[in-house]
Amino acid sequence: MCDIYVMRSTRDEVQDENGVGLGHYSDPPLLVLASLASGSKHGHAMIDDIARLCGTRLGPGTLYGAIARLEQQGWIEPLPPEERRRPYRITAEGLRVLRAKLTTLHQFASAGLGRLEPL
Amino acid sequence: MNARLARAITRLYPPAWRERYGEEFAAMLELGPGDLGTVVDSLGAAVREHIFPTRGGNMERDPNSFGAMMRRPSAYLPVAMSLTSLVVVLSAVGYGVSQAGHVVRDADEGAVAHIFQILMTVQWPITLFFLVKWLRRNPGQTLRVFAVQAAAWLAGLAPVYFLHL
Repeated sequence: MCDIYVMRSTRDEVQDENGVGLGHYSDPPLLVLASLASGSKHGHAMIDDIARLCGTRLGPGTLYGAIARLEQQGWIEPLPPEERRRPYRITAEGLRVLRAKLTTLHQFASAGLGRLEPL
Repeated sequence: MNARLARAITRLYPPAWRERYGEEFAAMLELGPGDLGTVVDSLGAAVREHIFPTRGGNMERDPNSFGAMMRRPSAYLPVAMSLTSLVVVLSAVGYGVSQAGHVVRDADEGAVAHIFQILMTVQWPITLFFLVKWLRRNPGQTLRVFAVQAAAWLAGLAPVYFLHL
């Protein structure tokens, strides 16, 4: 999934197995939701987790742009701050949205790979 | 990243955004690498925030602040009920004093007494709900709100106790 799109404000952490720069998946809000699906995290932990998840290292500005919009949509919620850092967690609505988006991507990837099989 | 640079970058964001995310964002910048990519990404995001500001939701306030907690119905309803009770009792006392020249104590429980009892007891399950829901998530502000609720409840009870109504 992580190699489907090429977008903005992120950096590749890994190359594909052929060493070809196919780009990286970068839909910051979706990456944040996917990261928080495994438990609450603060900003740095999200960046590291997303880098492990799909090789994309979000910049801090991009990350907080995504966090702000996800929070106002009610898909994530802040927890009380730990010193100066604030953890976030995904809401029930956020989980529903994440599941729907990942299902769509899965169907898209399956259909695309199916078309490649005869070639 | 250098703390001064982190603060300078954070100051480039709109005030409303800084109010909500500035502290945690600056902390994250300070803990991370101060490389060019990070600076460019942060500056780009600041420009985007000025052009397409994040609106609504919790942007205007910290959802865990005392004010935000007090705006939750389960926080302010008990306080409102206590204060309403206080006003009702004091109004009845004031009316009695104006009519009879002294505090009137009814032998039978009238409408005012029933209103007082309902307002002062119905709020207990609401306060309990508030504590159960928020004490674990945000203990500091929850206890502050509870202190306000308790103070309002005692204030509601005060005229009955001191005037022996």
